Amino acid sequence: MKFIKNHLMFILPLMAILLGIEFYLIFERSTDTYETKLTQGYTMLVVSKSPVQLDTFQNLNTHISSSSEVNRDEIISNIAKGMSQDSSNSILAKLPYFYNLGLNLYLNSDELEQIKSDLKADSNIKRVETFGTSHASKYKLFAFIKFTLETFIIFMMVVSFILIVKQMEIWKYQHKERMQIMEIFGAPLMLRAGVLFRIAFLDAIFSTLFISILFMYIKFSWAMDSGIDLMIEHQEALFHASDILILLCASLLLVVIAVYFVVFSSKGVKE
Amino acid sequence: MSNVIQATNLTLAYDNGTKEIIKDANFAIKKGEFVFITGPSGSGKSTLLKALYGQLKPREGNLIVGGHNLSNIRRKKLQELRTHMGMIFQDYKLVNEWTVAKNVVLPLMIAGYSNEVQDTQARRLLKHVKLPEYADKYPLELSGGEQQRVGVARALSKNPVVILADEPTGNLDDYSSNVIWDLMENACQQLDTTVLVVTHKIPTIFSLPYRHFIIENRGVYEVH
Repeated sequence: MKFIKNHLMFILPLMAILLGIEFYLIFERSTDTYETKLTQGYTMLVVSKSPVQLDTFQNLNTHISSSSEVNRDEIISNIAKGMSQDSSNSILAKLPYFYNLGLNLYLNSDELEQIKSDLKADSNIKRVETFGTSHASKYKLFAFIKFTLETFIIFMMVVSFILIVKQMEIWKYQHKERMQIMEIFGAPLMLRAGVLFRIAFLDAIFSTLFISILFMYIKFSWAMDSGIDLMIEHQEALFHASDILILLCASLLLVVIAVYFVVFSSKGVKE
Repeated sequence: MSNVIQATNLTLAYDNGTKEIIKDANFAIKKGEFVFITGPSGSGKSTLLKALYGQLKPREGNLIVGGHNLSNIRRKKLQELRTHMGMIFQDYKLVNEWTVAKNVVLPLMIAGYSNEVQDTQARRLLKHVKLPEYADKYPLELSGGEQQRVGVARALSKNPVVILADEPTGNLDDYSSNVIWDLMENACQQLDTTVLVVTHKIPTIFSLPYRHFIIENRGVYEVH
Protein backbone atom coordinates (compact mmCIF):
# COMPACT_ATOMS: atom_id res chain seq x y z
CA MET A 1 0.00 0.00 0.00
CA LYS A 2 2.81 2.35 1.01
CA PHE A 3 4.68 1.38 -2.17
CA ILE A 4 1.69 2.26 -4.37
CA LYS A 5 1.10 5.51 -2.46
CA ASN A 6 4.78 6.45 -2.86
CA HIS A 7 4.67 5.93 -6.59
CA LEU A 8 1.29 7.60 -7.09
CA MET A 9 2.65 10.68 -5.34
CA PHE A 10 5.19 10.87 -8.14
CA ILE A 11 3.16 9.55 -11.06
CA LEU A 12 0.13 11.84 -10.53
CA PRO A 13 2.00 15.19 -10.70
CA LEU A 14 4.03 13.86 -13.62
CA MET A 15 0.81 12.90 -15.37
CA ALA A 16 -0.54 16.40 -14.69
CA ILE A 17 2.49 17.85 -16.47
CA LEU A 18 2.13 15.43 -19.37
CA LEU A 19 -1.59 16.26 -19.59
CA GLY A 20 -0.61 19.91 -19.82
CA ILE A 21 1.86 19.18 -22.61
CA GLU A 22 -0.67 17.05 -24.50
CA PHE A 23 -3.40 19.68 -24.12
CA TYR A 24 -0.98 22.26 -25.46
CA LEU A 25 -0.12 20.06 -28.45
CA ILE A 26 -3.79 19.43 -29.23
CA PHE A 27 -4.65 23.10 -28.85
CA GLU A 28 -1.77 24.13 -31.11
CA ARG A 29 -2.82 21.65 -33.77
CA SER A 30 -6.51 22.63 -33.61
CA THR A 31 -5.83 26.35 -33.59
CA ASP A 32 -3.32 26.06 -36.42
CA THR A 33 -6.22 24.94 -38.62
CA TYR A 34 -8.42 27.69 -37.21
CA GLU A 35 -5.72 30.30 -37.76
CA THR A 36 -5.21 29.11 -41.30
CA LYS A 37 -8.94 29.39 -41.98
CA LEU A 38 -9.06 32.87 -40.52
CA THR A 39 -6.03 33.91 -42.55
CA GLN A 40 -7.36 32.42 -45.75
CA GLY A 41 -10.77 34.02 -45.21
CA TYR A 42 -9.26 37.42 -44.64
CA THR A 43 -8.52 39.91 -47.44
CA MET A 44 -7.84 43.63 -47.53
CA LEU A 45 -9.08 45.86 -50.31
CA VAL A 46 -6.67 48.13 -52.16
CA VAL A 47 -7.60 50.81 -54.69
CA SER A 48 -4.88 51.94 -57.10
CA LYS A 49 -4.61 54.41 -59.94
CA SER A 50 -2.94 51.95 -62.34
CA PRO A 51 -2.52 48.15 -62.46
CA VAL A 52 -0.24 46.67 -59.75
CA GLN A 53 1.51 43.31 -59.86
CA LEU A 54 1.76 40.97 -56.84
CA ASP A 55 5.52 41.43 -56.50
CA THR A 56 5.01 45.20 -56.25
CA PHE A 57 2.67 44.62 -53.31
CA GLN A 58 5.14 42.17 -51.80
CA ASN A 59 7.94 44.70 -52.13
CA LEU A 60 5.84 47.06 -50.06
CA ASN A 61 5.11 44.45 -47.36
CA THR A 62 6.31 40.86 -47.12
CA HIS A 63 3.16 39.58 -45.35
CA ILE A 64 1.14 39.95 -48.56
CA SER A 65 0.80 36.50 -50.10
CA SER A 66 -1.75 36.92 -52.88
CA SER A 67 -3.57 39.54 -54.89
CA SER A 68 -6.61 39.27 -57.10
CA GLU A 69 -7.94 42.06 -59.19
CA VAL A 70 -11.65 42.81 -58.95
CA ASN A 71 -13.08 42.56 -62.44
CA ARG A 72 -13.61 46.16 -63.61
CA ASP A 73 -16.09 45.15 -66.33
CA GLU A 74 -18.40 43.67 -63.72
CA ILE A 75 -18.24 46.88 -61.72
CA ILE A 76 -19.04 48.92 -64.81
CA SER A 77 -21.89 46.62 -65.76
CA ASN A 78 -23.39 47.22 -62.30
CA ILE A 79 -22.95 50.98 -62.13
CA ALA A 80 -23.46 51.93 -65.77
CA LYS A 81 -26.72 50.10 -66.43
CA GLY A 82 -28.73 51.89 -69.11
CA MET A 83 -25.86 54.17 -70.07
CA SER A 84 -24.45 54.49 -73.54
CA GLN A 85 -21.30 52.63 -74.53
CA ASP A 86 -19.38 55.92 -74.71
CA SER A 87 -20.39 56.81 -71.17
CA SER A 88 -19.42 53.36 -69.97
CA ASN A 89 -16.05 53.66 -71.66
CA SER A 90 -15.57 57.07 -70.14
CA ILE A 91 -16.34 55.71 -66.63
CA LEU A 92 -14.11 52.72 -67.24
CA ALA A 93 -11.25 55.00 -68.20
CA LYS A 94 -11.59 56.91 -64.94
CA LEU A 95 -12.31 53.90 -62.74
CA PRO A 96 -9.40 52.97 -60.45
CA TYR A 97 -8.14 49.40 -60.06
CA PHE A 98 -9.42 47.25 -57.14
CA TYR A 99 -7.44 44.42 -55.54
CA ASN A 100 -8.19 41.91 -52.83
CA LEU A 101 -4.94 41.12 -50.96
CA GLY A 102 -4.38 37.90 -48.99
CA LEU A 103 -1.89 37.54 -46.10
CA ASN A 104 0.52 34.78 -45.22
CA LEU A 105 -0.01 35.06 -41.44
CA TYR A 106 -2.70 35.74 -38.92
CA LEU A 107 -1.88 39.33 -37.89
CA ASN A 108 -3.06 41.59 -35.12
CA SER A 109 -4.52 45.07 -35.70
CA ASP A 110 -1.18 46.87 -35.19
CA GLU A 111 0.42 44.71 -37.84
CA LEU A 112 -2.53 45.34 -40.17
CA GLU A 113 -2.07 49.09 -39.64
CA GLN A 114 1.60 48.67 -40.52
CA ILE A 115 0.68 46.97 -43.80
CA LYS A 116 -1.81 49.75 -44.49
CA SER A 117 0.79 52.46 -44.00
CA ASP A 118 3.36 50.52 -46.08
CA LEU A 119 0.88 50.29 -48.97
CA LYS A 120 -0.14 53.93 -48.68
CA ALA A 121 3.49 54.93 -48.97
CA ASP A 122 3.16 54.12 -52.67
CA SER A 123 1.72 57.13 -54.51
CA ASN A 124 -0.03 54.81 -56.97
CA ILE A 125 -2.22 53.42 -54.17
CA LYS A 126 -5.21 55.62 -53.45
CA ARG A 127 -6.93 53.75 -50.66
CA VAL A 128 -6.50 50.71 -48.39
CA GLU A 129 -9.29 49.10 -46.42
CA THR A 130 -8.14 46.58 -43.78
CA PHE A 131 -11.49 45.69 -42.13
CA GLY A 132 -9.46 45.78 -38.91
CA THR A 133 -12.29 45.96 -36.37
CA SER A 134 -13.97 42.61 -37.00
CA HIS A 135 -10.61 41.02 -37.56
CA ALA A 136 -9.20 42.45 -34.31
CA SER A 137 -12.12 41.28 -32.17
CA LYS A 138 -11.76 37.72 -33.47
CA TYR A 139 -8.02 37.88 -33.02
CA LYS A 140 -8.25 39.25 -29.46
CA LEU A 141 -10.70 36.57 -28.37
CA PHE A 142 -8.54 33.93 -29.92
CA ALA A 143 -5.35 35.31 -28.33
CA PHE A 144 -7.06 35.59 -24.94
CA ILE A 145 -8.18 31.94 -24.98
CA LYS A 146 -4.71 30.88 -26.02
CA PHE A 147 -3.04 32.98 -23.32
CA THR A 148 -5.42 31.71 -20.59
CA LEU A 149 -4.83 28.11 -21.51
CA GLU A 150 -1.06 28.52 -21.69
CA THR A 151 -0.97 30.33 -18.34
CA PHE A 152 -3.02 27.58 -16.73
CA ILE A 153 -0.80 24.88 -18.22
CA ILE A 154 2.39 26.63 -17.05
CA PHE A 155 0.97 27.15 -13.55
CA MET A 156 -0.12 23.51 -13.34
CA MET A 157 3.30 22.37 -14.53
CA VAL A 158 5.17 24.47 -11.95
CA VAL A 159 3.00 23.21 -9.08
CA SER A 160 3.35 19.62 -10.30
CA PHE A 161 7.13 19.95 -10.63
CA ILE A 162 7.33 21.16 -7.02
CA LEU A 163 5.34 18.08 -5.96
CA ILE A 164 7.69 15.85 -7.97
CA VAL A 165 10.73 17.37 -6.28
CA LYS A 166 9.11 16.91 -2.85
CA GLN A 167 8.44 13.24 -3.57
CA MET A 168 12.00 12.86 -4.84
CA GLU A 169 13.25 14.33 -1.56
CA ILE A 170 11.25 11.71 0.34
CA TRP A 171 12.86 8.98 -1.77
CA LYS A 172 16.28 10.50 -1.23
CA TYR A 173 15.65 10.49 2.50
CA GLN A 174 14.58 6.83 2.33
CA HIS A 175 17.80 5.91 0.51
CA LYS A 176 20.00 8.44 2.31
CA GLU A 177 22.03 5.89 4.24
CA ARG A 178 22.86 3.84 1.17
CA MET A 179 23.83 6.98 -0.78
CA GLN A 180 26.02 8.17 2.08
CA ILE A 181 27.84 4.84 2.30
CA MET A 182 28.41 4.86 -1.43
CA GLU A 183 29.74 8.40 -1.24
CA ILE A 184 32.22 7.43 1.50
CA PHE A 185 33.59 4.75 -0.79
CA GLY A 186 33.95 7.20 -3.68
CA ALA A 187 30.87 6.52 -5.78
CA PRO A 188 30.18 9.26 -8.35
CA LEU A 189 26.86 11.08 -8.33
CA MET A 190 25.29 9.01 -11.11
CA LEU A 191 25.95 5.78 -9.24
CA ARG A 192 24.85 7.17 -5.86
CA ALA A 193 21.64 8.55 -7.30
CA GLY A 194 21.15 5.42 -9.43
CA VAL A 195 18.36 4.18 -7.22
CA LEU A 196 16.48 7.48 -7.61
CA PHE A 197 16.97 7.44 -11.38
CA ARG A 198 15.70 3.85 -11.60
CA ILE A 199 12.49 4.54 -9.67
CA ALA A 200 11.89 7.85 -11.44
CA PHE A 201 12.53 6.46 -14.95
CA LEU A 202 10.11 3.64 -14.32
CA ASP A 203 7.42 6.05 -13.12
CA ALA A 204 8.10 8.35 -16.08
CA ILE A 205 7.46 5.47 -18.48
CA PHE A 206 4.27 4.52 -16.63
CA SER A 207 3.03 8.12 -16.68
CA THR A 208 3.67 8.39 -20.42
CA LEU A 209 1.83 5.14 -21.03
CA PHE A 210 -1.18 6.18 -18.93
CA ILE A 211 -1.51 9.53 -20.71
CA SER A 212 -1.00 7.99 -24.15
CA ILE A 213 -3.64 5.33 -23.50
CA LEU A 214 -6.05 7.98 -22.18
CA PHE A 215 -5.70 10.15 -25.27
CA MET A 216 -5.84 7.22 -27.65
CA TYR A 217 -9.12 6.23 -25.98
CA ILE A 218 -10.39 9.82 -26.33
CA LYS A 219 -9.38 9.96 -29.98
CA PHE A 220 -10.52 6.58 -31.20
CA SER A 221 -13.52 5.89 -28.99
CA TRP A 222 -14.81 8.75 -26.90
CA ALA A 223 -14.57 11.50 -29.54
CA MET A 224 -16.74 9.57 -32.01
CA ASP A 225 -19.24 8.45 -29.38
CA SER A 226 -19.51 11.91 -27.85
CA GLY A 227 -21.46 13.30 -30.81
CA ILE A 228 -19.73 16.66 -30.28
CA ASP A 229 -19.17 18.15 -33.75
CA LEU A 230 -16.00 19.96 -32.71
CA MET A 231 -14.48 16.71 -31.42
CA ILE A 232 -15.42 14.74 -34.51
CA GLU A 233 -14.20 17.52 -36.78
CA HIS A 234 -10.83 17.73 -34.98
CA GLN A 235 -10.47 14.03 -34.24
CA GLU A 236 -7.22 13.81 -36.17
CA ALA A 237 -5.68 16.57 -34.06
CA LEU A 238 -6.50 14.82 -30.78
CA PHE A 239 -3.51 12.51 -30.60
CA HIS A 240 -0.59 11.70 -32.89
CA ALA A 241 1.74 8.72 -32.55
CA SER A 242 4.66 11.15 -32.33
CA ASP A 243 3.09 12.53 -29.14
CA ILE A 244 4.16 9.36 -27.30
CA LEU A 245 7.78 10.20 -28.07
CA ILE A 246 7.32 13.85 -27.09
CA LEU A 247 5.67 12.85 -23.80
CA LEU A 248 8.32 10.23 -23.03
CA CYS A 249 11.19 12.64 -23.73
CA ALA A 250 9.50 15.34 -21.64
CA SER A 251 8.89 13.03 -18.70
CA LEU A 252 12.45 11.64 -18.78
CA LEU A 253 13.89 15.14 -19.00
CA LEU A 254 11.76 16.27 -16.05
CA VAL A 255 12.86 13.27 -14.05
CA VAL A 256 16.55 13.90 -14.74
CA ILE A 257 16.17 17.58 -13.79
CA ALA A 258 14.31 16.64 -10.60
CA VAL A 259 16.92 14.04 -9.55
CA TYR A 260 19.81 16.44 -10.18
CA PHE A 261 17.94 19.21 -8.40
CA VAL A 262 17.39 17.05 -5.32
CA VAL A 263 20.81 15.39 -5.26
CA PHE A 264 22.76 18.61 -5.82
CA SER A 265 20.76 20.44 -3.17
CA SER A 266 22.26 18.13 -0.49
CA LYS A 267 25.65 19.06 0.91
CA GLY A 268 27.50 15.77 0.99
CA VAL A 269 27.56 13.15 3.70
CA LYS A 270 26.13 13.99 7.08
CA GLU A 271 26.74 11.57 9.87
CA MET B 1 59.81 4.22 2.53
CA SER B 2 57.36 6.82 1.22
CA ASN B 3 54.77 8.50 3.39
CA VAL B 4 51.19 7.48 2.71
CA ILE B 5 49.83 10.10 5.10
CA GLN B 6 51.50 13.37 5.96
CA ALA B 7 50.09 16.22 8.05
CA THR B 8 51.87 19.57 8.18
CA ASN B 9 50.66 22.29 10.55
CA LEU B 10 47.23 20.75 10.25
CA THR B 11 44.33 22.59 11.85
CA LEU B 12 40.84 21.08 11.79
CA ALA B 13 37.78 22.99 12.85
CA TYR B 14 33.97 22.86 12.78
CA ASP B 15 31.33 25.57 12.58
CA ASN B 16 32.87 27.44 9.65
CA GLY B 17 36.31 27.24 11.17
CA THR B 18 35.39 28.80 14.51
CA LYS B 19 35.54 25.68 16.70
CA GLU B 20 39.09 24.31 16.56
CA ILE B 21 39.42 20.59 17.21
CA ILE B 22 43.03 19.97 16.18
CA LYS B 23 45.67 22.67 15.90
CA ASP B 24 49.07 22.68 14.20
CA ALA B 25 49.42 18.90 14.06
CA ASN B 26 52.46 17.38 12.35
CA PHE B 27 52.85 13.68 11.70
CA ALA B 28 53.72 11.25 8.94
CA ILE B 29 52.75 7.60 8.41
CA LYS B 30 54.67 5.33 6.06
CA LYS B 31 53.44 2.59 3.76
CA GLY B 32 52.74 -0.68 5.56
CA GLU B 33 52.68 0.84 9.06
CA PHE B 34 50.06 -0.04 11.64
CA VAL B 35 49.13 3.03 13.64
CA PHE B 36 46.84 3.64 16.58
CA ILE B 37 45.38 7.02 17.40
CA THR B 38 43.90 7.26 20.88
CA GLY B 39 42.57 10.01 23.07
CA PRO B 40 39.72 10.81 25.44
CA SER B 41 36.14 11.15 24.19
CA GLY B 42 35.62 14.33 22.21
CA SER B 43 39.36 14.86 21.72
CA GLY B 44 39.03 14.82 17.91
CA LYS B 45 39.94 11.25 16.94
CA SER B 46 36.96 10.78 14.63
CA THR B 47 37.37 14.33 13.33
CA LEU B 48 40.91 13.49 12.25
CA LEU B 49 39.66 10.35 10.56
CA LYS B 50 36.97 12.33 8.72
CA ALA B 51 39.66 14.68 7.49
CA LEU B 52 41.71 11.68 6.31
CA TYR B 53 38.92 10.44 4.05
CA GLY B 54 38.12 13.92 2.84
CA GLN B 55 34.88 14.47 4.68
CA LEU B 56 36.24 17.48 6.53
CA LYS B 57 38.47 20.00 4.79
CA PRO B 58 41.50 21.24 6.80
CA ARG B 59 41.13 24.84 7.91
CA GLU B 60 44.88 25.40 7.78
CA GLY B 61 47.97 23.43 6.87
CA ASN B 62 48.30 20.46 4.57
CA LEU B 63 47.04 16.91 4.81
CA ILE B 64 48.44 14.66 2.12
CA VAL B 65 46.97 11.18 1.66
CA GLY B 66 48.17 8.88 -1.11
CA GLY B 67 49.88 11.82 -2.81
CA HIS B 68 46.78 14.06 -2.81
CA ASN B 69 46.60 17.21 -0.73
CA LEU B 70 43.17 17.13 0.87
CA SER B 71 43.31 20.87 1.58
CA ASN B 72 42.57 21.68 -2.03
CA ILE B 73 41.51 18.43 -3.64
CA ARG B 74 38.80 18.50 -6.31
CA ARG B 75 35.62 16.47 -5.88
CA LYS B 76 36.44 14.10 -8.73
CA LYS B 77 39.96 13.43 -7.39
CA LEU B 78 38.58 12.87 -3.91
CA GLN B 79 36.14 10.28 -5.28
CA GLU B 80 39.04 8.55 -7.00
CA LEU B 81 41.20 8.66 -3.85
CA ARG B 82 38.39 7.14 -1.78
CA THR B 83 38.29 4.14 -4.10
CA HIS B 84 41.86 3.38 -2.97
CA MET B 85 40.93 3.55 0.72
CA GLY B 86 39.31 0.96 2.91
CA MET B 87 37.04 2.27 5.63
CA ILE B 88 35.81 0.45 8.71
CA PHE B 89 33.26 2.03 11.05
CA GLN B 90 32.07 1.31 14.55
CA ASP B 91 28.46 1.12 13.29
CA TYR B 92 29.60 -1.02 10.29
CA LYS B 93 27.83 1.16 7.70
CA LEU B 94 26.51 -1.75 5.66
CA VAL B 95 23.63 -1.32 3.24
CA ASN B 96 20.89 -3.36 4.89
CA GLU B 97 18.89 -3.84 1.66
CA TRP B 98 21.88 -5.48 -0.03
CA THR B 99 23.19 -8.98 0.46
CA VAL B 100 26.44 -9.52 2.33
CA ALA B 101 28.21 -10.32 -0.95
CA LYS B 102 27.02 -7.11 -2.58
CA ASN B 103 28.15 -5.11 0.44
CA VAL B 104 31.59 -6.69 0.28
CA VAL B 105 32.14 -5.77 -3.36
CA LEU B 106 30.82 -2.20 -3.14
CA PRO B 107 34.30 -0.71 -3.86
CA LEU B 108 34.64 -3.00 -6.88
CA MET B 109 31.17 -2.04 -8.09
CA ILE B 110 32.11 1.65 -7.83
CA ALA B 111 35.34 0.98 -9.73
CA GLY B 112 33.32 -0.68 -12.50
CA TYR B 113 34.62 -4.26 -12.21
CA SER B 114 32.64 -6.94 -14.03
CA ASN B 115 30.08 -9.09 -12.23
CA GLU B 116 32.34 -12.13 -12.60
CA VAL B 117 35.24 -10.39 -10.86
CA GLN B 118 32.89 -9.13 -8.17
CA ASP B 119 31.50 -12.64 -7.54
CA THR B 120 34.95 -14.18 -7.36
CA GLN B 121 36.22 -11.49 -4.99
CA ALA B 122 33.12 -11.72 -2.80
CA ARG B 123 33.60 -15.46 -2.39
CA ARG B 124 37.33 -15.12 -1.71
CA LEU B 125 36.92 -12.30 0.82
CA LEU B 126 34.03 -13.93 2.67
CA LYS B 127 36.14 -17.06 2.97
CA HIS B 128 38.99 -14.90 4.24
CA VAL B 129 36.81 -13.40 7.00
CA LYS B 130 35.39 -16.86 7.70
CA LEU B 131 31.87 -16.10 6.51
CA PRO B 132 31.72 -18.13 3.26
CA GLU B 133 28.15 -19.29 3.78
CA TYR B 134 26.79 -15.78 4.43
CA ALA B 135 27.03 -14.39 0.88
CA ASP B 136 23.29 -14.34 0.24
CA LYS B 137 22.23 -13.25 3.70
CA TYR B 138 21.40 -9.67 4.64
CA PRO B 139 23.40 -7.68 7.22
CA LEU B 140 20.56 -7.58 9.74
CA GLU B 141 20.55 -11.39 9.84
CA LEU B 142 24.15 -11.32 11.15
CA SER B 143 25.54 -10.65 14.62
CA GLY B 144 27.53 -7.47 15.31
CA GLY B 145 30.84 -9.32 15.09
CA GLU B 146 29.84 -10.92 11.79
CA GLN B 147 28.70 -7.59 10.38
CA GLN B 148 32.05 -6.07 11.26
CA ARG B 149 33.83 -8.94 9.51
CA VAL B 150 31.79 -8.07 6.43
CA GLY B 151 32.95 -4.47 6.96
CA VAL B 152 36.58 -5.63 7.05
CA ALA B 153 36.07 -7.75 3.92
CA ARG B 154 34.61 -4.68 2.15
CA ALA B 155 37.58 -2.56 3.26
CA LEU B 156 39.98 -5.14 1.80
CA SER B 157 38.11 -5.80 -1.43
CA LYS B 158 40.11 -3.48 -3.65
CA ASN B 159 43.55 -3.96 -2.06
CA PRO B 160 43.53 -0.45 -0.60
CA VAL B 161 46.59 1.70 -0.06
CA VAL B 162 45.33 2.62 3.38
CA ILE B 163 42.68 1.32 5.74
CA LEU B 164 41.06 3.82 8.10
CA ALA B 165 39.19 2.29 11.01
CA ASP B 166 37.02 4.24 13.43
CA GLU B 167 36.55 2.32 16.70
CA PRO B 168 36.21 -0.95 14.73
CA THR B 169 35.64 -3.06 17.85
CA GLY B 170 33.67 -0.48 19.83
CA ASN B 171 30.44 -2.49 19.69
CA LEU B 172 31.93 -5.99 19.84
CA ASP B 173 32.65 -8.59 22.51
CA ASP B 174 36.20 -9.75 23.20
CA TYR B 175 36.07 -12.77 20.91
CA SER B 176 34.75 -10.80 17.92
CA SER B 177 37.19 -7.97 18.66
CA ASN B 178 40.13 -10.36 18.53
CA VAL B 179 38.93 -11.74 15.18
CA ILE B 180 38.75 -8.19 13.76
CA TRP B 181 42.22 -7.21 15.08
CA ASP B 182 43.60 -10.41 13.64
CA LEU B 183 42.14 -9.66 10.20
CA MET B 184 43.50 -6.12 10.20
CA GLU B 185 46.92 -7.24 11.36
CA ASN B 186 46.99 -9.77 8.54
CA ALA B 187 46.04 -7.13 5.99
CA CYS B 188 48.93 -4.96 7.14
CA GLN B 189 51.46 -7.81 7.11
CA GLN B 190 50.38 -9.63 3.97
CA LEU B 191 49.22 -6.78 1.73
CA ASP B 192 51.61 -4.11 3.03
CA THR B 193 48.58 -1.89 3.57
CA THR B 194 48.86 1.07 5.90
CA VAL B 195 46.32 0.68 8.71
CA LEU B 196 45.26 3.61 10.85
CA VAL B 197 42.98 2.80 13.74
CA VAL B 198 41.20 5.31 15.90
CA THR B 199 40.28 3.75 19.22
CA HIS B 200 39.89 4.68 22.84
CA LYS B 201 41.81 1.58 23.98
CA ILE B 202 44.65 -0.38 22.35
CA PRO B 203 44.03 -4.14 22.50
CA THR B 204 46.54 -6.12 24.54
CA ILE B 205 46.58 -9.09 22.16
CA PHE B 206 48.36 -7.11 19.50
CA SER B 207 51.54 -8.71 18.21
CA LEU B 208 52.69 -6.18 15.59
CA PRO B 209 55.13 -3.40 16.43
CA TYR B 210 52.87 -0.40 16.02
CA ARG B 211 53.09 3.36 16.31
CA HIS B 212 50.83 5.17 18.68
CA PHE B 213 49.59 8.77 18.51
CA ILE B 214 47.54 10.46 21.18
CA ILE B 215 45.29 13.45 20.69
CA GLU B 216 45.33 15.80 23.67
CA ASN B 217 44.58 19.48 24.08
CA ARG B 218 44.04 19.85 20.31
CA GLY B 219 47.52 18.47 19.56
CA VAL B 220 48.57 15.14 17.99
CA TYR B 221 51.59 13.63 19.77
CA GLU B 222 53.44 10.40 19.17
CA VAL B 223 53.80 8.14 22.22
CA HIS B 224 57.21 6.46 22.41
